[in-house]
Amino acid sequence: MASHAKAANAFARQLFAMSVVDGVVSAERVSGVLQYVEIHKTANPVMVLKAYQRLIATELAKGVAVVEHAGSVNDSVLAAIAASMTKKYGHKVVASAKPNASLLAGLRIRVGDDVYESSIAGQLAALATSV
Amino acid sequence: MSTALEQIEQQIAKLSNKAVKKNTGSIRTVADGVAKLDGLSDVMYNEMVQFPGGAIGIALNLEEDEVGCVVLGDISQLKEGDEVTTTGKLLSVPVGKELLGRAVDALGVPVDGKGPIDSKETYPVERIAPGIIARKSVSQPMFTGIMAIDSMIPIGRGQRELIIGDRGTGKTTIAIDTIINQAKINKVGIATGDKNFRPVYSIYVGIGQKNSNIVRTMSALEEAGALEFTIIVAAPAADNPANQYIAPYSGAAMGEWFMENGMDALIVYDDLSKHAVAYRQISLILKRPSGREAYPGDVFYLHSRLLERAARLDGKGSLTALPIIETLAGDVSAYIPTNVISITDGQIFLETDLFNQGIRPAVSVGLSVSRVGSSAQIKATKQVGGKLKGELAQFRELAAFAQFGSDLDAKTKAQLERGGRIVELFKQPAFSPSPIELQVAVLFAMQKGFFEPIDVKKVVEAAASLKSFFTTRQDALLAEVRTKAALDKDLEAKLLAACEAWKSSYSA
Repeated sequence: MASHAKAANAFARQLFAMSVVDGVVSAERVSGVLQYVEIHKTANPVMVLKAYQRLIATELAKGVAVVEHAGSVNDSVLAAIAASMTKKYGHKVVASAKPNASLLAGLRIRVGDDVYESSIAGQLAALATSV
Repeated sequence: MSTALEQIEQQIAKLSNKAVKKNTGSIRTVADGVAKLDGLSDVMYNEMVQFPGGAIGIALNLEEDEVGCVVLGDISQLKEGDEVTTTGKLLSVPVGKELLGRAVDALGVPVDGKGPIDSKETYPVERIAPGIIARKSVSQPMFTGIMAIDSMIPIGRGQRELIIGDRGTGKTTIAIDTIINQAKINKVGIATGDKNFRPVYSIYVGIGQKNSNIVRTMSALEEAGALEFTIIVAAPAADNPANQYIAPYSGAAMGEWFMENGMDALIVYDDLSKHAVAYRQISLILKRPSGREAYPGDVFYLHSRLLERAARLDGKGSLTALPIIETLAGDVSAYIPTNVISITDGQIFLETDLFNQGIRPAVSVGLSVSRVGSSAQIKATKQVGGKLKGELAQFRELAAFAQFGSDLDAKTKAQLERGGRIVELFKQPAFSPSPIELQVAVLFAMQKGFFEPIDVKKVVEAAASLKSFFTTRQDALLAEVRTKAALDKDLEAKLLAACEAWKSSYSA
């Protein structure tokens, strides 16, 4: 079982490498990869596709700044965030807004694994752990 | 009321409005104290990571698309998809004198119900051992209070001496006796008001032990008045393997604090066999390649980096380590025992046969050795017990031949009788260590033949009588032996006179 998973992960990584063009995931290549998997009946297709999906999702998340906000956020703020993140990470990052009332006030921006938080909820959580 | 409000206001003021950056990941799987995580792209090796619900973890496996992490604390609340964040810190534990007299877990959290520990400092659990420049050779004694050890296998401050033997041979007892003896010496030293006196603080790390055993150890130390100089680090068998893996390193960090601050400390790892088993469990779940006896390839490094942290530092203090290894059917050539034997500066080997014959402590003289301790032995012990190890080894060989029942010459018979008396003399009950000056007095009597007329079976009784005679009636002489630490002609004459006085009063 463990060796199947290892082989599936290795194959998924190969498929992932083929899906990226100039550091960006290509939708065209992804559909090509999916067709290949369907036609060639690869071993453990579910395992391979789940691993492939995880790799693609991780990569795509690096290009999107999910801006969670409690109040209102206008387009100019989103554009400024996108520009700032693009400069910081050295590749194109687009911003998408996501309302989150539990933040109370402020913003939380997620780009890939990185989270930038400046919200009341975050500060209260920090206060709770330090008191 | 107002103070409480002010404290909260100050805390709020400290919180800046700047955005805080966190590197996050999510749990993919959790099993047996080990979590596999997605994300955490910035995590560093051995970095502490924060799980929801207060549990923390240490990143041990950094792979291409996942992070393997041991979880310390309660893992029952963790589930797939939970967010995990990096902390940018190494795992640290509280250190300092505030921990003395307390029992803590692998993270330094008190488990004895005596309230929180007000520790001012923390030390990282994993530290690089002192280098060769910072070290000094072992030259100061660390008395165990066990006559067989102090006279034949002496231990010095900063030494690593392995205690090895099968189950139920008295390994833990030797370690506890040593801790109790340190406390006794500390009390005497502190009472004298000598500014140059250096007390020894002890740390007992219980790894994979039964909770009842740890409680028994604590009560033994408390009854002997040694708990006030001791820190107990408990990672019992009920703890998850991650806690058992980290506990000896936590104990070492606590000991290092004493060493770094110019004090002397003793640490007992009870036991490293169970530690290796816990590490093997973690490694197998992390899917690291397994080698001999299914242990991972770095199991030697696991113990060498731990035991190398024991040292005597130039211009600072020392940390003496007494690791314990449990063998199976006396097999010292198994993987973990040979590893630890090669790392340490000697071993005290305990034999089941000797233990069952009533020879306790069941120290096997032939297989036990102290590679650096002789330079730390005081001159008085060398003078009275220098030849004992050889004599005992010869006795064991002769005794093996004598079993065939052949006729023996007078010289051999005498050697056998003398050997038998030495064996009897070294018998010592548990938790009653003897001060070094008393050991010198008893060995002096042995050397001068005061036990020769006594029947072998009555030597234990006679030795007890001699000890009682010296402690009750020759207190000043014992103090002189303690302070001089060497026998000159005058002292020898006084000891001889005292032994004569005892001989005339003692009737076997």
